[in-house]
Amino acid sequence: MINRWKAQGGGLGVRALARLDAAFNGLYTWRFNPLYHSGALVVACFAVLLATGLYLLLFYRIGAPYESVAAIDAQWWGGRWIRGLHRYVSDLAVVAAILHGFRMFAQRRTWGPRALAWVSGLVLLGIFFVCGWTGYVMAWDVHGQALAVEGARLLDALPVFSEPLGRAFTGEESLPGAFFFMNLFAHIALPVGIALFLWVHVSRLARAQLLPPKRLLWGTVGLFAIAAVAWPPPLGPEADLLKLPATMPADWVYGFWLPVARAMAAGWVWVVGGSIALLALLVPVWTKPRAEKRPPPSWVNPRYCTGCEQCFLDCPYEAISMVDRDDGREGLVGWVDPAKCVSCGVCAGSCAPMGVGPPGRTGRDQLARVKDFLAEARPGSGDVVVVGCMHGAAGSVGSTAVATGLAAVDGLAGAPASAEAQEPRVFPVGCAGNLHTSVIEYLVRAGAGGVMVAACPPRDCRSREGVKWFNERVHHGREAELQDRVERRRIAVVYAAAGEGRVLRDGVERFRSRILAMEEAPAERDFDVGVECELDEAVP
Amino acid sequence: MIARRAAAALLALAMTAGIAWLSRVPTNFGADADAVIRLSWRVEGVPVEACRTRTEEELAVLPVHMRSPQECASAIAPFALDVVVDGKAAVRDTVFPKGVRGDRPVYVLRNFPAGAGRTALSVRFEAVLAEGAEPGDGVATIYAWDGEVDLAAGDVALLTVDGAKNLVLRTPEAP
Repeated sequence: MINRWKAQGGGLGVRALARLDAAFNGLYTWRFNPLYHSGALVVACFAVLLATGLYLLLFYRIGAPYESVAAIDAQWWGGRWIRGLHRYVSDLAVVAAILHGFRMFAQRRTWGPRALAWVSGLVLLGIFFVCGWTGYVMAWDVHGQALAVEGARLLDALPVFSEPLGRAFTGEESLPGAFFFMNLFAHIALPVGIALFLWVHVSRLARAQLLPPKRLLWGTVGLFAIAAVAWPPPLGPEADLLKLPATMPADWVYGFWLPVARAMAAGWVWVVGGSIALLALLVPVWTKPRAEKRPPPSWVNPRYCTGCEQCFLDCPYEAISMVDRDDGREGLVGWVDPAKCVSCGVCAGSCAPMGVGPPGRTGRDQLARVKDFLAEARPGSGDVVVVGCMHGAAGSVGSTAVATGLAAVDGLAGAPASAEAQEPRVFPVGCAGNLHTSVIEYLVRAGAGGVMVAACPPRDCRSREGVKWFNERVHHGREAELQDRVERRRIAVVYAAAGEGRVLRDGVERFRSRILAMEEAPAERDFDVGVECELDEAVP
Repeated sequence: MIARRAAAALLALAMTAGIAWLSRVPTNFGADADAVIRLSWRVEGVPVEACRTRTEEELAVLPVHMRSPQECASAIAPFALDVVVDGKAAVRDTVFPKGVRGDRPVYVLRNFPAGAGRTALSVRFEAVLAEGAEPGDGVATIYAWDGEVDLAAGDVALLTVDGAKNLVLRTPEAP
C-alpha cells in the first residue's frame, strides 16, 4: 500500500515537475531555467542578504529600533531600496529553497547517500525562517510584534524557561535594549549557521555549483532591486503592546503560520508543527526503496583497473578513492565507497578498460546490450538510433525502450514504449554520463546512419555532471574518449527534459534529414581531410 | 522569438511581483476581538510549612543526631484565580508556582477578549492555604480588583501588580 502510494506520489511529482520544467525551458532555455537553479539561487540570495544586511547594520540602533528602521526607510536614495531588496530576497530564498526541496523529493534524490543533504537542507530552511523572524522583530513594527508575541506564547508551552517569555510583551514595561541586542545577535549569528550547514549540505558533492549562471543571477537581483525601488515594502505602524495590531502588511512567506497558530493551543501547535517537521526529516527513511529495488552501488573490477584515476576524477559524489593494490600488481586501484555512491554510473562512462560501474551498467554490460539491440533490427545508413537517458525525454519516447539493466534505476524499469512506426529506436542508458563511448562507435560501425544522444539539460542531470563529462568525452578527448575514427558528423546531442518529447522528436527529425543529405552526397562522404590536404600541398 | 522573450519577461515580472506581494499581504491578526483585557503579573509565592510529630517507632529507626521530634515540609502555596467579566465567570483556576519543585514565583498571563465600551471586571487572586498553615510575615495572600474598564476598539487593558503589591489597571490612555 505504502509502496503503491510512493510510486504514485513520486510519479505525480515527477510529471508535475516535468511539465513545469518544459514550460520554463520553452521560455528561458535550459541554460537559464530558474527551476534548474533553485538551489544555487538560494545561495545567491544568501550572498545578497549578507551584503544588504551589512549596510542596514550600519544604521540600526538597538536603543531605538523602530526609529532607526524608519530613518533607513527615509533614505530614498539608498536605505529604502536596500531594505526592500533585503526583504524581498529573503522571501525569494525561502521560495527557492522549497522549490529545490520539491525537485529533490519528486526526483527521489532524498535517501541513501543523499540523506545528509536532505536533512541539512531542512535545517538550512529552518535557520532561514528563524533568521527571518528575528529580522522582522528587529524592525519592531506591528508585524514584528505579532511574530514576537506569538513566538513567545509558543516557547512558553515548553518546560524550558523559568519565567514566561510572554510576560516581556504584556505592556507592563517597555522592552529593554537587552532584548533587541539579543535579537540582533541572533540575526547576525544565524547566518554563520547557514554558512556552516551549507558546507555540510554540499559536502558530498564534487565541484558543487554554488551560484547560478551570471545572467540569471544578475537578472534576478536586478528584478528584485527594481521591485524594491518601484514598490518598496512598507514599514508597519510601530509596535504598541497595549494595542491590538490592526490590519498590517504581513509577510506570508515567513508568517504563513501565524493565523493558524493563533487559533490553536500552543501545545497543539508544537504537536502539529513537530509532526510535520519529523515527517519531513524522515523523508530519507520513507522514500528509501526496498532493498531489492535499490540500484546497486558501483564496483571496481581490479582485474581491469589500470589505476588511471579517471573514475576518481569524474565521480560527481566523491565516492571513489584510489587505494593500494592487494593483488600483487604495482600501483593503485579504484575503490568505491558504497555509502557515498548513488549509482549514477558516471564512472562506467569514464573507464576506458570498462572495469568500473554499477552491476549491469558497466561499459561491458552496455556493449553486451547493444549487441542484443542490433540483433533485433539492424539500423540502415539512413536510420538514426537514439541513445537516451531514461530520466529525460527519451524515457517516454521510442519504440524499443528495453530497459535491460535499468530495472533498478530509480524505478525506471520498463520505459514506456510506443508502437508508432516513426518513433526512433531508443537504446536506453541511466544517464548520458553513464554511456560508454564504445557504444556509440559500435552503433556507427554496425551501420547506423547517425547516433543521437538524448541527454537531460546539463543543470538537470540526475548524476550532476553526467552530461558535462559526456560532452568532454565526445568532443574534447576526455577519458574514455570517443575514438577519432568515429565520424563526428554522425553523432549529435539533444538536450530534452522529461516533458520535452517534442524537442527530442524535432531534434531527431533534423538530424535524420542531415544524415539523409549526407547519404545522398557520396562525394562529400568520401572526403578525406588528410588525403585532400596532401593533394593541396602537392599542387605547385 | 519576440513573443517568447516578451512572455519570458512578463513571467519574470509576475514572479517577482508575486513574491513581493507575498511580503506585504494586508492581514489583520487581531480580528478575533474588539479589545482585550490582559492579566499579567508575577508575585512571590506564599511559603507554607506543614509539620507533624514523629512517632516513637519512627524516631527509633533514625540516627541519634537526626531524631528531631517534628518533621516539617515547606512548600509554596498555589493561588486561586477568579475572574468575572460582566457578571459572568470567565476563569476559575488554580495557578501553581513555577519550577520543577514548585518553588519559583507565581506567574499569571491571561488574555480575555472584550467588546469596545464599558466592561465590568472582578478579579480575585488568593493563596490557597492548608488548614492551620501560616504564611510568613509581610507576605500578601490576596490580590483583588473590582471595577469597570472603558475600552476603545483595538485597546488592551492590562491588570498588573504594582510595587505596593496591589492590582492596578493600565490602559493605552493611562499606561
